[in-house]
Order: sequence, then structure tokens, then C-alpha cells
Amino acid sequence: MAGLVEQQIHRDPALFYWILLPITVVMILTGVLRHYLSTLLQSTPKRQPLPKIREQRSLQRAQNLRNNYQQVSKAAFERRKEAFLEGAKEGKFLADPDARGKARPNPMSDPAMMEGMMGMMKGNVAMMVPQSLIMGWINAFFSGYVIMKLPFPLTPQFKQMLQAGVGTRDLDVRWVSSLSWYFLTLFGLQPVYNFILGSKNAANQMTQQMQQAQMGANPMGGAEDPEKLFNAEGENLEVIDHRYILEGVEDRLLEKLGV
Amino acid sequence: MASALLAPPSNTSPESALHLSQAAPSFFASQASFNLPWPLSLLSASESQEKWQIYNNIFIACLASGDSESAYLCLEEITDRFGKENERVMALNGLYQEATAKNDTELQAVLGRYEELLQDDPTLFAVRKRRAALLRSMGRTNEAVAALTELLDASPIDAESWAELADVYLTQGLYEQAIFSLEEVLLVTPNAWNIHARLGEVLYLNANHSEGAEQVKGLSEAMRRFCRCIELCDDYLRGYYGLKLTTSRLLPLLSASSQKTSTAELPPPSVKTTEKLNEAATAKLSEIVRRSKSGEKGFDGYSEAELIAAHELLSRDSQNVAR
Repeated sequence: MAGLVEQQIHRDPALFYWILLPITVVMILTGVLRHYLSTLLQSTPKRQPLPKIREQRSLQRAQNLRNNYQQVSKAAFERRKEAFLEGAKEGKFLADPDARGKARPNPMSDPAMMEGMMGMMKGNVAMMVPQSLIMGWINAFFSGYVIMKLPFPLTPQFKQMLQAGVGTRDLDVRWVSSLSWYFLTLFGLQPVYNFILGSKNAANQMTQQMQQAQMGANPMGGAEDPEKLFNAEGENLEVIDHRYILEGVEDRLLEKLGV
Repeated sequence: MASALLAPPSNTSPESALHLSQAAPSFFASQASFNLPWPLSLLSASESQEKWQIYNNIFIACLASGDSESAYLCLEEITDRFGKENERVMALNGLYQEATAKNDTELQAVLGRYEELLQDDPTLFAVRKRRAALLRSMGRTNEAVAALTELLDASPIDAESWAELADVYLTQGLYEQAIFSLEEVLLVTPNAWNIHARLGEVLYLNANHSEGAEQVKGLSEAMRRFCRCIELCDDYLRGYYGLKLTTSRLLPLLSASSQKTSTAELPPPSVKTTEKLNEAATAKLSEIVRRSKSGEKGFDGYSEAELIAAHELLSRDSQNVAR
């Protein structure tokens, strides 16, 4: 019946005041600091030149046409389609029509691209530097303490997570070491930041990592050949089998009104 | 109150604009009082998008009601926050100057300033829009059209500008162009019932200028637009008004012609359907007029002018029946 006997460790109450509390407070403050740091370091997105905007929005117009073609009559749809196809063929919408058919330059050599990379680097630095500093600080001063006890039992698999830095095999999993407390706060303070800084804060590194993952596997490959995009959109438009939303709308309406 | 402060400013009526602008002092007071000292202020983010939306709306309401001092205070707050270089701040600043300009020369100066700004950076779409609006209000319609088409060539997914262009074309009587522009708006915002109704109105006006089978085709297209509008929003007064108007115009034409030449993509509706639609529209219109006259809850948001017009349409109709 050894399992039923609860492990008793008498902790100095000073552990609470001098380790648990400082770590927590420091972590919250770093989050706030990181938020303001990344706000300060954020470079304002560069304005795109007009031809580039025109290219993007023309493409988007074609996409709108493809998505919402039901709203206009067949004649109107055909007219817009023809206009787009012709424009795409002649390269009217392209930002620089002279560059058609030439090989794309290496995206790394594009200064605008480098700017974007720098922005990302800055974000990463604002994240990494305080994190490694605090990690070192905690390791130097507080490692090896058992600072608290969870009020619920856990399976032994949590031992690695909760007792980092305490190399005791028989210690019950419910005891949490200082280093582990650091990790828990590192990953679990998002709601606290939301409360303090509003929900759009840049304090949590996890959200930042998530954003980066969402940005796509390759930030480099973002610049595709616009001409290809236009041609693909043209093909999409050509295969559309037109259906008009006003077809039979009066019957639908009568049915809906229950007449 | 709060929702009125947040509503987009374009569709506030004169009364509510006045009401809003009178709320300005209390809003300023509520903003100024609560401020923590510096290190603590870092810990709380008092900013929200709503706050600036409210500033924006009060600014416009103050200009509309002629209270340019309060408007200037709003503008200063906004400028302090977002900087002079911000695109929208530039446009708001221009709006203020337009509103406080006393004569044509001053307006001309504002226009010159817009053009200067656009020369430096042609991507300032907010300023471009202001320039087009200013040209239009100065009566230089052709230039306004040119400005708008130029804007739309660069940014063809701007529903607001397309709608404005449609409006300008409509005032010039160019129905075909207005229809095209409104269709563009619908391609961007497919479920905007007010645009469907607007397109129906323009189609109706266009049909008035044609004859015979063309007119029937145009009217039935307009009628279907109104149907779609009501399908999307089933207590939209303008939709029912248009539906009633088009169906009562269509009925005699349909029963008179009655030739079944369904060469068009969409044949005109049958007489029976049109009658039913007419009845439904009449019933709903009179319900709306009756219930909003007595101020029932849920029927109190209608514009006074539209209600009067609907009432007039109904009474005209009943007179015809009586004769």
C-alpha cells in the first residue's frame, strides 16, 4: 500500500516568495515587454507601386467574377470574360508588360523581399533574446528547487515535463520544479496577456510561430509569375457554365412568401 | 446610442447626424478622464478600433451639422494618433477643408492640394475618392467620371467607387453605363440587397425609355432584381416598392402582347406569377406603411420619405381600382 502514502516534503515558505512569485512576475513582464518591443520594431508595410496594385486587383476582379458570376446575366458575364481574356492575353493588367516571358529574378536579390525577411528576423530576435536570457537566469539562480505541488495526481509520463532539472527518480509527479514552472508559464500565459494587453498582442511566442507556419512553407516562393496567374484565371473563367441567379427567382420568392 | 456611434457614416440621416454631433462633448469628456500614469498605462491597452470609428463618425456628423469646432477637435485627436501621413487622415483633413471652404476659390485650392498629394503618391485611394467627390460636388461631372474611371482602372474591386460611378452616370442619364457599374458592385458584394434594388431601379428607368418587347424584357429583368432583393432581405421597403411598381407596369403589357417568343435567355414571367407578386408586394407595403405609422416595434427604422412615397403609390393604385 505504499502508493497511498502521500509523499511529504516540507518546503520552506520562502521558496514561494523568492522563486515561484519572481518567476511568474518576470514572465508576465517579459511578455509585456515583448509586446511593446515587437510593436516598436515593426516596420510599416511598404506601399506598393500603383502598377503592382493594379495587377493584383485586376486578378482579384477576375476571381470575383468567377465566384459571383451568378449575379449578372449571361451577356454581361460573357462581356466581362472576353474583356478579361483579351487583357490577359495582351498583358494589359501586368505591372511591367516588358518583363513578359523573361525569367524571374532570384527572389533573394529583390530588395523588397529582403525587407520582408528583415521584418521577420526582427520579430524573431525580439522573441528569442529575452527568452534565452531568462532561461539562463533561471538556470543560474533557481535550478534544482521543488517549488510547488499540484492538487491532482498525474501519470509518470509527466515527470519529464514537471520535474526538469530535478534528477530524483522516486519523487511523486505532482511536485513541480522551478525550471518546469518556467516552461509552464512560457507556454501558458496567453490568456493573461490577452487580459492585460488586449487580444491582438504580440506577447506570446506561440502565436507568432503559428503565424509563421501559416505564412506558407516558403516565404521565398510567394512571387509567382503574374502572367501565369492571369492565364490560369482565364482558363477558370472559360470553363464556367453560366447560371443566372434571377432565373426562377419569382417562383422562389412566391414560395418563400407562402402565396 | 453606442450602435448609432458605430454605424457607418454614409447613411446617417440629417436628424441623427445632428443628434450624434450633440453627443460629441460628452464623448470627449468620457475619453479624457481616464488615464493612468505612464508605467501603468503600458499595462493596459485602452485602445480599440471602435474608439476611432466613433471619432470618425462624430467628425463627419459634426461637419454635417455645421459644428466645425468639434469636428476640428476630432480631427486633431485622429491626427495625433495616426499621423499626418496616414492615407485616411489625409482624406479626413481634406474633407474638413472642403466643409469649411467659404467660396469656390478655396475649394479650388483644396482640389489643388489633392492633386499635389496624388502626384507624390498615386496610390492614395482615399484621397482619390475625395478628389472625385469634390469634382462632382463642384459640378464638374465629366472630370469626376474621368477621375473615377481612372481610379477603377487601378483598383477594379472597389465597390464604393463603382457605386459612386453608377450614381454619377445615372444623374447623366447614361443607364447602360450605370447598369454595368452596379453589376460590378454586385460582383464584389453579391448579397447586397440594396444594390440589387438599386440595379432594379436603374433597369426600370432604362426600360421606360424603350418600347415593345424590349420594354417587357427590361421590366421583367427589373422585377426579378427586386425579387432577388426581397429574397435576401424580406422587409426592405424599396424592394417591395419597386416590385409593386414593375409588376403593375408589366401586367397590362404582358396581357396585351401575350406572344410567346422565348428567344431571350429569360422569358418574361407569366401573367399569373406577376399578379401574385403584385398582390404580395401590395400587401407587404400596406403592412409596412400601416405598422410603421402606428410606430410598432420592429417597424420603426424606415425613412419618412420612403414611407410617404409608398403610401402615395398605394393610394394611387386604389384610386385606379375605384375608377
